Amino acid sequence: MAGDSKQVDLLQGTLNMMILQVLQQGAANGYEIAKFIEQRSDELLQVDHGSLYPALRRLEAKAMIKGDWRISPTKRKARYYSLTPAGKKLAGTEHSRWRTLVHAITRVMRPV
Amino acid sequence: MYPEDPNEELDFHCAEMKAERIGLGDSEEQAERFSRAKMGNRTTTREEVYEMHPLECLEAFTRHLRFAVRTLARHKASYAMAIGILALGIGMSVAMFSLVDAVLLRPLPFLKQDQIEVIWKKDPLAGPVVEELAYPELRDLQESIKEFEAVALMPTTLYGYARVLSNGEAEPVQIESTPVSHDFFRVLGVTPAIGRDFSEEDEHPGAGPVVMLSDRIWREHFSSDASIVGRMINLNGQGYTVLGVMGRGVEFPRGVGMWVPLGVSKNVVERRGATFLQAIARRRPETSHQAITTAVNALFQRQIVDHPESYSKTQEAVVTALPEYWTGSARLHLWIMMAAALLLLLAAMIGAGNLFLSQILSRRWEIATRGALGASRRQIILQLAAESMVAAILASVGGLAIAHFMIRLLTRLAPPDIPRLGDAALNLESLCVAVGASVAAAMVCAVVPVWLVTDKHLESALREGGLRSSLSRSGARTKNAFMLAQAAVTMVLLTMACLLGLSYRSMMTADVGFANKDALTVNLVLRGPGLFSNMPGTQRYTRFLDRLRQEPGITSAGAVLVRPLEGPIGWDASYEFEFEGGGKEGKQLPKANYEVITPGYLRTVGTPSIEGRDFDEHDVEDGEAVAIINQSLAARIRASGYAAIGHRVKLRTGLRRDWLKIVGVVADARYRSITQTGMDIYIPFLQGGTVAYAAVRGTRPKAELLSTMRRIMAELEPGQALAGAATIGELEETNAARHRFNMVLLLWFAACAAVLAAAGVYGVIAGAVAERRREIAIKTALGAGRGQVVRDVTARCIGYVVAGEVLGMAGAVALARLGSDLLYGVSYSDPFVLGGSFAFLLLAAAISAWLPAWLATGSDPRSLLQSE
Repeated sequence: MAGDSKQVDLLQGTLNMMILQVLQQGAANGYEIAKFIEQRSDELLQVDHGSLYPALRRLEAKAMIKGDWRISPTKRKARYYSLTPAGKKLAGTEHSRWRTLVHAITRVMRPV
Repeated sequence: MYPEDPNEELDFHCAEMKAERIGLGDSEEQAERFSRAKMGNRTTTREEVYEMHPLECLEAFTRHLRFAVRTLARHKASYAMAIGILALGIGMSVAMFSLVDAVLLRPLPFLKQDQIEVIWKKDPLAGPVVEELAYPELRDLQESIKEFEAVALMPTTLYGYARVLSNGEAEPVQIESTPVSHDFFRVLGVTPAIGRDFSEEDEHPGAGPVVMLSDRIWREHFSSDASIVGRMINLNGQGYTVLGVMGRGVEFPRGVGMWVPLGVSKNVVERRGATFLQAIARRRPETSHQAITTAVNALFQRQIVDHPESYSKTQEAVVTALPEYWTGSARLHLWIMMAAALLLLLAAMIGAGNLFLSQILSRRWEIATRGALGASRRQIILQLAAESMVAAILASVGGLAIAHFMIRLLTRLAPPDIPRLGDAALNLESLCVAVGASVAAAMVCAVVPVWLVTDKHLESALREGGLRSSLSRSGARTKNAFMLAQAAVTMVLLTMACLLGLSYRSMMTADVGFANKDALTVNLVLRGPGLFSNMPGTQRYTRFLDRLRQEPGITSAGAVLVRPLEGPIGWDASYEFEFEGGGKEGKQLPKANYEVITPGYLRTVGTPSIEGRDFDEHDVEDGEAVAIINQSLAARIRASGYAAIGHRVKLRTGLRRDWLKIVGVVADARYRSITQTGMDIYIPFLQGGTVAYAAVRGTRPKAELLSTMRRIMAELEPGQALAGAATIGELEETNAARHRFNMVLLLWFAACAAVLAAAGVYGVIAGAVAERRREIAIKTALGAGRGQVVRDVTARCIGYVVAGEVLGMAGAVALARLGSDLLYGVSYSDPFVLGGSFAFLLLAAAISAWLPAWLATGSDPRSLLQSE
């Protein structure tokens, strides 16, 4: 549990960012968020459910998203998350930060 | 704001996933399995959600605490022992810290105390005594040393300047007062609370007498009346104008009640020979103590050239920072005691850590099982930490109670020469120390065991069935190291305590030269005009003593210049013998303790005569000048081939500068300190000189003798005051109070340490036999004798104790040698003390080891082997 903390940190950071990105299109429940990330990444990214829900709760504790119970299209009671104004702002900054990072890394990694 | 259970949410997720898989063609069972696998450990997820919440952390914490309290309650006996040991260690450390804080750490009530220097001289040729300054040297210091902001002079002792305050109503009282030069309070950086400071106009011959009161005297004798400033009060029958009242706590020199200007008599101001002073100076902040010392030394060298008639060629400066001057040798003594307390705390932590370790070793099955059931290492460590924290909290509460009791005891035993010791109390700082000590204790109790509970150790504890696992092997190593250290520490404390105890005994049984412990002495100076104002002081004193001798119940009475064991104060007289033929003119002469005595004084205090006679009423001013010397001085004369009686001696101090015929030799008496012998010269009171202490002996108790003296005083000498009544025995006690204080403390320390060591050994052996139950049972079953098994179990442990003792002995000898000025009449490497301490500790350890081993080997091996 202790040894791979670096990797976990990196994943957590990107997971948060991706959650915020998904929620920009509207409220979604945990299952939909996971599904959406997996589909959009052509199943390359597999969301670890053991970290998805703690991540959601963490974002909620920081008042970036808020959750409320609704009925899902499958007629089940599900918790739907949506962005708060602070969350919207964070999604924007995370997005541009990510683009800068990707751009920089791409430049570094291009063939010499 | 408690986080909701994520269970429902996770259920929904599973259901959606299942539905999806079934939609893709999976069977119900396959879909279930898939979603379960995908979800992972649901409990871990839930725990993670919970743990991020602050309230949850608190709850986990209280859960750990609750469990810790339950664990502690279940294993009462061993944890109570550990907590008791820790409380003892914390209590002693806190108590000692409070003393150190009160005496050494709390700043003096002076501005920037470290910039204040106290200056006097020493002269290696004249011996170890303090050489004093004279008033004209004030100007030398002011003019030649620019690094000083202000310089002032004061006498080197408090003694001899007391004044009698009488207001016409209450009985006159004697108040300690000190003459100081007018910049005195500017050097200290203090200003009067009311009224004004001394100024230059107050200090010149012929100036109107003025006085500055201390806060204490103002409260006690002037009922805090602010209008006293500017009024006249009667001191020694003379009117003094009160200039002001100093702030609370400003009592320098210690014990002073009021200050008067110093340079108000021509005799003092002009004579370089009138040496009775020391300087205090405030140096500029940018200069150093070292630079000042160099500058003062250079000045004293110039003095030798400028005034060769007044100064010895070998004089040197002694410059001491005020805080050091203030606490004197108490500084070293207290730090030694503080170190002893810390050693004890260390021993306590070692002992408690040992017991905790035994507990954890015996609970390793429980811990390993919890680990196997999925408790993370972090949680196990948190649990152990919580246990040691609860123990440490309980211990610090107990420790504070012990400290409270100890401080009350110690301040009652406090020797009078350690300043501010009586102010010691539990305060915020000592609470901080208690908290610090208990945190440290908790760390020791928790960290070492936690280090052992690594993953590797946990696994092997289970795999190898617990017995003889690596856990217990490294545990045993740690325990043995603990035991060794503890034996060493105990040995140090025990040896030191025994040495101090023996010192105190030889001090109290030493022949100090005063056989009559019941003789009562009082400070009594006849000042100013008496009832018959034309009567000279000598006659007045003689009349008073004669009157005392006539009282029923009083068998003898006398008077002396400075009474025995009054402290390091006294008069020193340079002397030379006739056979030395004045050949030493202009050279440095040896010095002897100078005493002026009345006839009958030596008999009253019980200093035995060796040969010759006592002074009598015929030794008057126009009779032959005579002296009595002590045995050591007589031995010097005899060594030169002359008889002591009838030989002549000349003094350079006092009123008689002519040759004095030696008429008597008396036993050596210790005037300055109970441990210090020297040369004594006695001069008859009737041939000139003054006395300041009356001594009486009688068949009545002390209180009655004292009231008799008061009655006769009121009758013959109204307006005079008696002060500081004490018997010779009490003076001896006071003089040895420091040693007694040290001894009591160290004995108590050593007793605690010995208890700790024994408890430690007991704990280790008890743990070892519990751990090796099966092995012992098998050995017994195979026919090993009980003695054999006990020897097997305890031998190694005793070996470590012996090794520790040897280490401790080396440490004790080194330490005792360092502090050998604390010892009297016993060598720092006294073989009986060392051997005795060694044997005692070994015996205690052997009994503590033998007892649990013997009990454990008594049970029937069959029942144990069958039960496993």
